[in-house]
Amino acid sequence: MTTFETTGARAPVRARRSAGRVLLYAFLTALLLVFALPLLWALSSSFKDRSEIFAHPPELLPDPGTLDNYRGLLDGNPFWSWLLISTVVAVISTLASVVLCALAGFAFAKYRFRGKNLLFDIMFSSLAVPFAVIVVPLFIMVAKAHLTTPYFALVVPWVAPAFGIFMMRQFTEQSVPDALLDAARVDGCTEFGLFRRIVLPLLRPALGALGVWSFLNSYNSLLWPLVVVSEPGDYTLPLGIQALFGATGRQYDLVLAGAVLAAVPSLIVFFVLRKQLLEGLTAGAVKS
Amino acid sequence: MTAPPPTRAPATASARLPLTPAPSRSWWSRRQRGWAPYVFISPFYVLYGLFLLVPILIGLYLSCTEWAGLGTPRWVGLRNYRDLSGDHSFWTAVANTGLYIVFTLCVVLPASLLIAQALNARGLRGRDLFRLTYFMPVVISPIVITLVFGLFFDTEFGLLNAVGQALFGFGGIDWLGSPGWARVTVVVLVLWRWTGYLTIFFLAGLQNVPKELYEAAALDGAGPISRFRNVTLPSLRPVTAFVAVTVLVSTAQIFDEPFLLAQGGPGESTLSVAMFIFRAGFQRQQLGYAAAAGVLLFVAVFVLGRLAMRLLGVGRDDR
Repeated sequence: MTTFETTGARAPVRARRSAGRVLLYAFLTALLLVFALPLLWALSSSFKDRSEIFAHPPELLPDPGTLDNYRGLLDGNPFWSWLLISTVVAVISTLASVVLCALAGFAFAKYRFRGKNLLFDIMFSSLAVPFAVIVVPLFIMVAKAHLTTPYFALVVPWVAPAFGIFMMRQFTEQSVPDALLDAARVDGCTEFGLFRRIVLPLLRPALGALGVWSFLNSYNSLLWPLVVVSEPGDYTLPLGIQALFGATGRQYDLVLAGAVLAAVPSLIVFFVLRKQLLEGLTAGAVKS
Repeated sequence: MTAPPPTRAPATASARLPLTPAPSRSWWSRRQRGWAPYVFISPFYVLYGLFLLVPILIGLYLSCTEWAGLGTPRWVGLRNYRDLSGDHSFWTAVANTGLYIVFTLCVVLPASLLIAQALNARGLRGRDLFRLTYFMPVVISPIVITLVFGLFFDTEFGLLNAVGQALFGFGGIDWLGSPGWARVTVVVLVLWRWTGYLTIFFLAGLQNVPKELYEAAALDGAGPISRFRNVTLPSLRPVTAFVAVTVLVSTAQIFDEPFLLAQGGPGESTLSVAMFIFRAGFQRQQLGYAAAAGVLLFVAVFVLGRLAMRLLGVGRDDR
């Protein structure tokens, strides 16, 4: 047997390799702390009272823990209204944009039609238009039309994002076989029927990816709501927390509780659909 | 493919030749197939026209007017542009935005490539845990993140100064109060928030590199560095190009981080172009002036984006 000789020859290599492994795990764990600690620190601080949040020296865990921040936030502020508006707006936008993007992505992936390349280029190049460019005129339009309610202004203009259409096109090309569509056509299926009965079911993982993406985009958006929503009764979560922070003289106690609660829905959505999101986001970029 | 031959014929051909055998399909269903794609893509173009094209045109018009939002805009020709070119604040905003772009391209992007490379190590345990945790900052609302960073960077009571004091005996860095440090803080926030996001793109790209390439390079006696240079980097070119263009376009319009962390301050030391537009339009009611800055940003992003795409060859092998 040659085992003895090979292990003897490979020993230094293996030692070097395991040293490399230790370094690798140390590096990755250090990064894990860098990314997770600030969030955990905020979580812990949200259970501290106002003076303890900036205690010197800093306390890792609240002692004693208190729910006063949460109580103060929920009693004195329309937190549930902010959460409701943010969530409803995000859910409506998500549902609508998933359907519209899948429909357009399907058309670009599976049909030949006059002007297709040009139309695709127009769609794709709209990705490069900075939002800051249209924010002023768009605000004027929406305000003049008296449509500043969040259910219109925060939903309708963003409901067919070009990125989503691009992503859906990539997925449809990959996962919907032409033969299936043709067979269904022979059976007398209408074109919209093809979309509903064949394309949508096949695209389910991709729809999940686009769904999380648009939910998070809408739920977390700041600049546009800041511009367009002026009624405090219409505030979304980011606006509400920001206003509260200003109103309490930049005190951290209440807003930290708000921040922790605000992060819950996005984290839930993210963890439930994490696989789809990470794979879906990259599908367009690494397609070879 | 087992599809029957007649249906494989492209729609245009069958429309030109009505004699093409298509027994089970009526005139209506063929018609429908021609119209369907236009109907399917129309919602996007309606919204595109209403909420992108029209605003751009209005923006172009407004940029040549003076308007505080009431009454009718007053035509001033190119005066706004002339004023902008002599506006110190505007150039500060341009310089800051340039700094953010250079930073994301030269620090955030390589950092995420490095992390992706580490995550791609063969037989790594807990890859998903690492990957998901790194990605988390981008999931959480920027306002939440800013509060968290406020806790860290507070000059008097922040964790960072407290720890610095305890460990190294220095502290009291005015993170958000001095122009230089405020820029550092914003840039650190950008790094923290976006590195994990970009990492997943590189990781996906790395996982697509054929293993045989590495094996062949190893047989040729290439060390890890040479393998990285000669195998990894060339294979990652398309992903890198995609990420670089995305990062360029999105950093050019950076708003959240400097706005929330420092309101562009102290003074104007962290002001970005998007913030400049926001301030002129919605805090100072100079809507025409804001629109002109918007037009300039548009032109800059368009030219830079095109340049980067040409340089990096995005879309060359697409479609």
